[in-house]
Amino acid sequence: MTLPKPDQLLLLILRLGGFGCFAGWAWVLFYWEGPYGVLLWQDSIYALAEKIGISWDEFVGSGAQDGLVQKWHSRIGWLYLICAILTLTVRNNSRIQMAGLIGGSGLLVLLSYAKYLSANQQLPMFVEHGGQMLIPVILVLALRFGVRHRATVVTAMVAFVMIFAGHGAYALGYPSPTPANFLGMTSIILRVDAEMARFILRVAGIMDMLVCVGLFFRPLRRGAALYAAVWGFLTAVARPVAGMSLGLNYWGADQYLHEVVLRAPHFMIPLYLLFLWRKADEPDSLTAPVPISSGNTDPQTCRL
Amino acid sequence: MKLIRLVTLCCSALLIAGGAVAQEKGKKGKGQKKGPAALAIPNVEKKDIICFALYTVNDEVLKLTAQLYPVPEGDTKTVRLEIEKDGKWVEVAKTEVIEKGWTAPFRVENWDDTQTQKYRVLHGEEASYEGTIRRNPIDKDEIVVAGFTGNSINAKHGGDLSRQDLIDNVNKVDADVLFFSGDQVYDHHRHYAAWLKFGRDFGEIIKDRPTLCLPDDHDAGQPNLWGESGKISTLSGAADGGYSQPGEYVQEVERAQTSHMPDPVDPHTIGQGIGVWFTNLNWGNIDFAILEDRKFKTGPAGRVPKQGPRPDHILNPDYDPASVDVEGAILLGDRQLKFIDEWAQDWTDADMKVALSATIFCGGAHIHGAANGRLHADMDSNGWPQTGRNNALRGLRKGFAFHYAGDQHLATIFQQGIDEYGDAIYSFCVPSIANLYLRWWEPLEAGPNREPGAPEYTGDHLDGFANKVTNFAAANPEKNPAGNILNTRAAGFGIVRFNTKTRDIEMECWPRNVDVTDPEAKQYPGWPMTISQFDNYNPRSWGKLGELTFDVEDPVVQLIDADTDEILYTVRASGKSFTPGAPKGKTFIVKAGKDAPETTVSEAAKVGSEPQTVTLK
Repeated sequence: MTLPKPDQLLLLILRLGGFGCFAGWAWVLFYWEGPYGVLLWQDSIYALAEKIGISWDEFVGSGAQDGLVQKWHSRIGWLYLICAILTLTVRNNSRIQMAGLIGGSGLLVLLSYAKYLSANQQLPMFVEHGGQMLIPVILVLALRFGVRHRATVVTAMVAFVMIFAGHGAYALGYPSPTPANFLGMTSIILRVDAEMARFILRVAGIMDMLVCVGLFFRPLRRGAALYAAVWGFLTAVARPVAGMSLGLNYWGADQYLHEVVLRAPHFMIPLYLLFLWRKADEPDSLTAPVPISSGNTDPQTCRL
Repeated sequence: MKLIRLVTLCCSALLIAGGAVAQEKGKKGKGQKKGPAALAIPNVEKKDIICFALYTVNDEVLKLTAQLYPVPEGDTKTVRLEIEKDGKWVEVAKTEVIEKGWTAPFRVENWDDTQTQKYRVLHGEEASYEGTIRRNPIDKDEIVVAGFTGNSINAKHGGDLSRQDLIDNVNKVDADVLFFSGDQVYDHHRHYAAWLKFGRDFGEIIKDRPTLCLPDDHDAGQPNLWGESGKISTLSGAADGGYSQPGEYVQEVERAQTSHMPDPVDPHTIGQGIGVWFTNLNWGNIDFAILEDRKFKTGPAGRVPKQGPRPDHILNPDYDPASVDVEGAILLGDRQLKFIDEWAQDWTDADMKVALSATIFCGGAHIHGAANGRLHADMDSNGWPQTGRNNALRGLRKGFAFHYAGDQHLATIFQQGIDEYGDAIYSFCVPSIANLYLRWWEPLEAGPNREPGAPEYTGDHLDGFANKVTNFAAANPEKNPAGNILNTRAAGFGIVRFNTKTRDIEMECWPRNVDVTDPEAKQYPGWPMTISQFDNYNPRSWGKLGELTFDVEDPVVQLIDADTDEILYTVRASGKSFTPGAPKGKTFIVKAGKDAPETTVSEAAKVGSEPQTVTLK
């Protein structure tokens, strides 16, 4: 069944968000280095490897040659690339592809967990990856049940809150001082000193928290989603804007652009909610049951 | 089957790694403190508000910085410095405490460095902190410099264990100077709290002898540092160059660690208002150049072709080393090169010269991390950029400088080479106080020209940037460290004995928790090693000019290339005779003088020329 145009747009937004996230991380894993090291470079892991019959040299390499750790580190990139393709090819009746995307979500959970561990177990580090971890799930839910289904929307709202609560916590200096690169980017882009940058980030942190709350109030939610989409995009592009320079090889694009791409869910999820609620006051677009696909057997639509 | 095993391993990795990290984080009690708890700033009584004090004396100027705990609101901010004269305390200076970092820097001119003097720092009515300003030990034959690096406080590898062994050993050898080469602080956000802990740990030995602290990357609050003259870094890992922390944070760090050092020779600030502290200290007739090998250095990200999974790491052994030696990449920068050039020629009150910096001028490790992480080259080392490295070495060898450094977490002795193996200075990289991150010197091929019976990793090698290096020793940690704390991770410290009479330089490399005065105590394999001051510029291809015999003791001799007017070197000879080394087939102007090379001795000296008697009186 063909989706109404607005719903096609919503699905496209989710596809692009998922694609960007997986493609960005695939880029990191192929071109740079993934954050999985913290999970593997552990004495207890070596001990376990030996117990199950993988020798030291097999596991970590001989020094001259790579071991399993180094080889699989880059091979994981293929899984991300496959998931990126799946975000574009998956249809509402392709269960294997959906399963692949759910697996991709698992990979992103693992990745976020690794980043959380390497960030000295700072909770906001894991929380702010909520959008990235959940975007494949949201896409699958949207295909399986519909872009306006309660499950899809609730999951998107959870992802939204995770992204901006995590961001906001860091900007407000919880649990440790505001990350130095946040201050640096703000200082460079806005040409302000560290004191002013700190003030701006505190305001931004408060706004992050407020939009998380505003999401749950009907009169405020479109404004919250609009702010979050813009702010999510700006924070993603802040990295190349602050770091790229004409004097660098490829203008520094290979150092920074993937940072925007993999953060696609940070602005695509709010954008999805914004477009979802765009016609919130028009009863036929929100409150009327809209069967959007053959897979949508549940007549329940979002009344959030 | 292999795949199943691998999958099992991966699943377990998640659980175990999380558990292991969590276990570390939760480790408390039984004498072990996790980092954050150890960094709590204690509420001290008013009488204990002065935590510790560091000082140097140079050119009759005493600089002393008292480090205070936070001064309560309403209490005086004035801090006084007194010295004991004829049994009475006399105030010699007072200063206001700087609230950002709670430091109280004193500067006292016309200091009489011929006398040892007791001092005390006072705050308010109750707080008093006493120590000793040593006299300049110009009559001592041997100047002992204890060297430290990498002061991790992480319990995981023994960083939480007591430093009492280090305190005891410094007192036993009665070190004349303490040299902390960098990473005195590993916490990237709380330098002040960590610096106070450093003071509580080492204040007992610091208060009584000149101490040099070189803030390195972790001190500045980032994992690696390519300072790029004060740029702001935004890239994770900071390989884009610049400082990750705001300038005011870096200024506070440098005020705490370096404001007691001699005045900078070229004090112009860099970006973000960050100061500089490169300078020299003349103590016991040893002239120390204190270098900033991070502050001006170019960040590699986006400037060199990508060669590995990080912008600063090169994994591909087949890459072209010349491709990363890009035009415009800076190591020490023009200001420091100019300083080195002038310093190398100035032998006033100096018998020997020593360069101090954070790290060594080569890629001094092959394997990085917890296991066999072979890295072809690491741009965090001073092996990159090669042109900058060679320029630095060319300057330093002109003064026969010995190089003392740290940072690598791996103790090594190298002789650097520029155009040929062994044509530049020796470097001693000291081991970490507690080793956060393991490294190994493990070339794949045995080195030629090894000492008889020496391990295969010694001898002549090219580092990852194709720099010529000759290794003499490496304190490699165990591959899978048993117990995984301190000595199995090759932790320890260095002692260098500079004999100003014989001009010998003896390098010692000690593990932790040994008594260095115990005849049974063993150093790391390869140590001790003794070289001559004159080995620091003695290329294998050189010959000797005719012997010069002087009518004064220890004259200063200078060789100048007669064709180019370039100074080849300047050095203070030992005794009344000196046989200059020089390249074959060239003609040299030889100058000499009692304290400066003011008299032309020969205008056409060549290798193999006749001995000559020189009158300088």
